[in-house]
Amino acid sequence: MNCEVCELKEVEVEHYEIREVLRCILHTILFHRALGLVRPKDVDCELFEITYVQCGDPEIEKKIEDKIDEFINKVDKHPNRRSQICLSFYDTKNKQPSWFISKVERLYWETWCINLHVLNPKSLPKSHQNKVIDAGACAFEETESHRAALESSLREVLFQIIKFANEKKDHLPPIPSNKEGASFPYEITIVSSSESSFGWHADVFKRMLQTGHPTMIG
Amino acid sequence: MALQTESNRTTEQIISQFLAKTLHAILAARIPHLHAAAARGGGAAAPRHRRRDRWFHLALGDPPPPIEHGGLLPHGVLEPLVVDIVLSPRDASASAAAAAAAEPVVERWTAQCESPPPAPADAASSSFVVRRTYKKSIILLRSLYSLLRLLPAYRFFRMMCASHQSYNYDLSYRVSSFAAPFSREEEKGFALHSFAPVETQFGNLLVSVQYRPTLADFNLEVSSLSPPMLIADYVGSPATDPMRAFPASPAERGGAPPRPSTSAPPLFQRPHSWTSAPIPHHPLGIGGASPIPVADQRLSLPESYDPRLPSQQAAASALRKGGFSFDEFKLSPPFSSSTTPSPPTFGGANMQFRLPSETAPVSIPQAASWKSQALRGPNLSDPTRNFLPPPSPRSTRADHSAQEYPSGSRSFRKSEGLKTADLFSNLYAVQKGLKESRDDSGRFSGVFSSGGSPRFGFSRSSSRLSIQDDDDADYSYPFAVDDVDISDSQTRSNDGKETSEYSQAYASSHRSQDAAVGVLVHMLRTAPPLRDQSYSSQSSKSELNGDSGVTSSFFMSRKTSDALEELQTYKEMKEILLSQSRGQLEDPLKQRTE
Repeated sequence: MNCEVCELKEVEVEHYEIREVLRCILHTILFHRALGLVRPKDVDCELFEITYVQCGDPEIEKKIEDKIDEFINKVDKHPNRRSQICLSFYDTKNKQPSWFISKVERLYWETWCINLHVLNPKSLPKSHQNKVIDAGACAFEETESHRAALESSLREVLFQIIKFANEKKDHLPPIPSNKEGASFPYEITIVSSSESSFGWHADVFKRMLQTGHPTMIG
Repeated sequence: MALQTESNRTTEQIISQFLAKTLHAILAARIPHLHAAAARGGGAAAPRHRRRDRWFHLALGDPPPPIEHGGLLPHGVLEPLVVDIVLSPRDASASAAAAAAAEPVVERWTAQCESPPPAPADAASSSFVVRRTYKKSIILLRSLYSLLRLLPAYRFFRMMCASHQSYNYDLSYRVSSFAAPFSREEEKGFALHSFAPVETQFGNLLVSVQYRPTLADFNLEVSSLSPPMLIADYVGSPATDPMRAFPASPAERGGAPPRPSTSAPPLFQRPHSWTSAPIPHHPLGIGGASPIPVADQRLSLPESYDPRLPSQQAAASALRKGGFSFDEFKLSPPFSSSTTPSPPTFGGANMQFRLPSETAPVSIPQAASWKSQALRGPNLSDPTRNFLPPPSPRSTRADHSAQEYPSGSRSFRKSEGLKTADLFSNLYAVQKGLKESRDDSGRFSGVFSSGGSPRFGFSRSSSRLSIQDDDDADYSYPFAVDDVDISDSQTRSNDGKETSEYSQAYASSHRSQDAAVGVLVHMLRTAPPLRDQSYSSQSSKSELNGDSGVTSSFFMSRKTSDALEELQTYKEMKEILLSQSRGQLEDPLKQRTE
């Protein structure tokens, strides 16, 4: 089984925007890949003029919120870094149990990599901090421009998800019948840049080795 | 062969259901009234539709009536489905041809099976193809559903759904199997998004959308439908009953969703200027001949919104940002106590906060005059004073007497000398006696202490007065009712002299009104202070220099009629003083004779 990897465009976010951005992206991906019966729920972003769609499954919502909380906690400890959240879909395979190999093997068939660059307000140059005159107006303008740029980037990411989800459909396993919500098992992992520059690369290579047919499409 | 036929039938069913689901998703996300109808239905599908709702694992609820009743969907799976989302101008006066020409297409969704069918496969692969077709159709529908919410037309759709305002455009649709292609010029204004095709046994199922990247070219704004009408019964007009109660509070009106009223509640029956009977040629377009139509029109008042009003323009621009609700604009205009008759205006997003929380009778304030303001009480700048009860007859008479005093400024009182100190103290005693028999003594004392002048206020908070207040400890004003410790015994011994001087001053002022005022001013300026003549002469000089400009301006602003009235009052006071002095003179004489 091929593991399709989609590397989404990097998004620069401020700390308070992390939750909204991740919700929007993760729910959109899952809406395209949770192929069980769903009752779609339109959600308006609080910070942007974007409406995304959720599956309406409480389990999915809870899992996403927990992961976002975990991500934010990690970001608080290591601010101003490029971080990555990976949403991976896998299939389970029972293997012959042995001394060192687990019984259940996960075969990843798709991985979505969400790249976030969390901006740290404290990393602004001192010259900006010392400008008292018109500081408020400049800060407001910068915030507005940042917000507009982020909304545009987020829209691009959503279009990217739609495009990729539609173009790559052959590798999806058969949809289980009579299943609601998430039809395929999935996991969300957090990869930060502190785990070296080949942090996510190692994780993807590991999955590629497990699947046996490495395919990199971004 | 049978299996082949079965798979073909299944594929055909998949394609037809896919087209129906596509049309359902498009109309539900683009046509406001269909969306509203679906929302009223609760979102869940009716039992007869539940099985169809499970198609493609995407439960959208009951299909819109146009789809349910048929006629919109193509007859064959090979027929394309073309859905045009158009902006229909609301100008009903345009002809049909002109209207059709004026309906620009903002989106064109196309779903069709293209290319020749692939070679027939064996039965085993047919079922695989069917399952693959179905799986990919599920994903395609998910993508279509998401994209519907990312395109620009969705924002305008949400604006129309969120508010009950009517815009100059409306979103409508056209469904056909064939649509005239866009011209080259038109195509330049469109962007294209094509979904990945889904292989079927009848060919590749293609879905694409041509959409306008921006709707800024269309001047989307709140429209005013009704012709302008004149309102005759505006607040403040002679035709209205000023004591009629206003409608209920904003919380009751604006919070609840609009309910078509067949019982015609009383509040809708009142012929307010914003609800009322047909008034032609009013810009707000308010009309309604009967209570029920009035209610409906009132509920639909936003339709006659005047976009020229700045508050409404601001609200319309806020709507474009997608973050505003026009629910509050169903409220009646804010209460206005303005004396100038003007049509009610909408106060913008804060209108509901400007409305009184309780119904209150309307009292049209009269034109302010010095006299009426003096009669009403201390704080002339307080608009609520208009609702103060009128003064009692006794206090009115007393107010007259107080008013007659040259009390525009405390400086006049300060400039009095000892000569008139006894005179004023006697008058003061008279006033004090009147005060004790009054009910609204507090207000009167406020009038009295501040001199009854609106210009210099009855409040002691003005800076000019505050400077003078500093001298209160050392100086007692003859008109200050609170200064009860003015020693009458000191001043009464000179009553005779002051009385005669006072009468002479008034006799000379009889020549003319202005002369009378001038004489009075002169008399007060030259009068010695009440207590300490030496101190008063020093302080009065300094204060006269400082306040003369003020006092002269005060008198300049007073009308001749006011001065005349004051003169009359002084005459009355003179009579009182004379009678008192006569009485006092007679008493000692009687005592001596006894």
